[in-house]
Amino acid sequence: MATWISSNPFGAGALASAAIAAILGVWYLVRKPESTRTTKIALLFGIGVLPLATAATGNVSGYEAMKSRNFCGSCHVMTPYSDDSSNPESKSLASRHARNEMFGHDNCYACHADYGMFGTIVTKLGGLRHVYEYTFNYRNMSLEEARKSIHIRKPFQNATCMHCHSTELPLWRAVPEHASLTSEIASGRVSCASAGCHGPSHPFSKDPVVPVVDPGGTAPTDPSGKVAP
Amino acid sequence: MKLPRIVRGRPSKSLLRVSVILTLLGLVLMAWSILAPTPMPVMLAMTVGQGFGTLAFGLFVFVVLRDLRQSGAAERVAREADAAEQAEPEAAEDGA
Repeated sequence: MATWISSNPFGAGALASAAIAAILGVWYLVRKPESTRTTKIALLFGIGVLPLATAATGNVSGYEAMKSRNFCGSCHVMTPYSDDSSNPESKSLASRHARNEMFGHDNCYACHADYGMFGTIVTKLGGLRHVYEYTFNYRNMSLEEARKSIHIRKPFQNATCMHCHSTELPLWRAVPEHASLTSEIASGRVSCASAGCHGPSHPFSKDPVVPVVDPGGTAPTDPSGKVAP
Repeated sequence: MKLPRIVRGRPSKSLLRVSVILTLLGLVLMAWSILAPTPMPVMLAMTVGQGFGTLAFGLFVFVVLRDLRQSGAAERVAREADAAEQAEPEAAEDGA
C-alpha cells in the first residue's frame, strides 16, 4: 500500500479526494439536509472542488499509467510484444531497452512516442487511433492473425533513438558501420532498427525472411509490404 | 440560452440530488481508472466520468444561481411591501 502511494502519489491524491467527495455526497443523499448556505458550501466541495481535484490528479495519474508497458500489453494483440519485453532471457532490441532502469517499465512509450514540440499530444491522438483499430478490427482477432496484420504505421524514426543515443560520442563514431553510414543514419535512409543493424526490434513479429538494409532505398520494407521498424 | 424545462421546473433539492448522483457515478469511474489503469476504464473516466462531473457541477451552479436570484427577488418584494406599509399611514395622516 505504502509502495503504491509512493509510486503513484497523484493516484493516491485522486482517490483521497474522491473518497471525501463521496462521503459528502452520500451524507447529502442519506441525511437530506435543508438547502441552507452551509449545505451548499459542503456541496461546493462535494460536487465542485474535490471532484475537480480528483479529475485533475486522476488525469495525471492516467497519463502516467498510459506510458507503462502493462497498459500497452493489456490489449491481447500486444501481449507477445509485452511478454518479449518482460522476458529477461530475450535478446531483442525491445527487451534490452526494457531492462534499462531509467525507463524500462515504459519502454513501449519511450521508443514509440513522438518527441517533437507537440509529441505528447500527437502520441495520444495516435493512441486513440489504436483504441479505434483494436475495438473495430482487432478485438476478436487471434494472435497469429494479428501478428501477420499488425505493422508500424510510419517508418521508425532514427530521431527517436537519437533522443538518448546522441551519435556524437567518440565510442559511437568508432564503430565502422556508424562511421560509414553517418549521413544515411542522420537522414533516416538507414534505420537504426533495421535488420542487419540493431533490429528488428520485435523479431518474433517478422516473417522468417527479413530483408537486409536497402542502401539506396528510403525506408526498408519487407516483401509483405510491411514497413520494418 | 434556454435551459430544458425538466431542469427549470424542478425544485432545488431534487436537482441537487441528481447532481450528487452524477458526481458519485463520475467519481466511481475515475476511481476505477486509477485502480485498474487499462484502456477501457481510463477512457471511460476521461470521457463519461468527467462528462458526468461537469454536468453535475453545472447543475449545482445553476441551482445556486437560481436560489440567489429567487432570494434576491423575495427580498426586493419584502422591501417594497415594507415601504408600501410605511407609506400608507403617512398618506392617512396627510389626508387627516
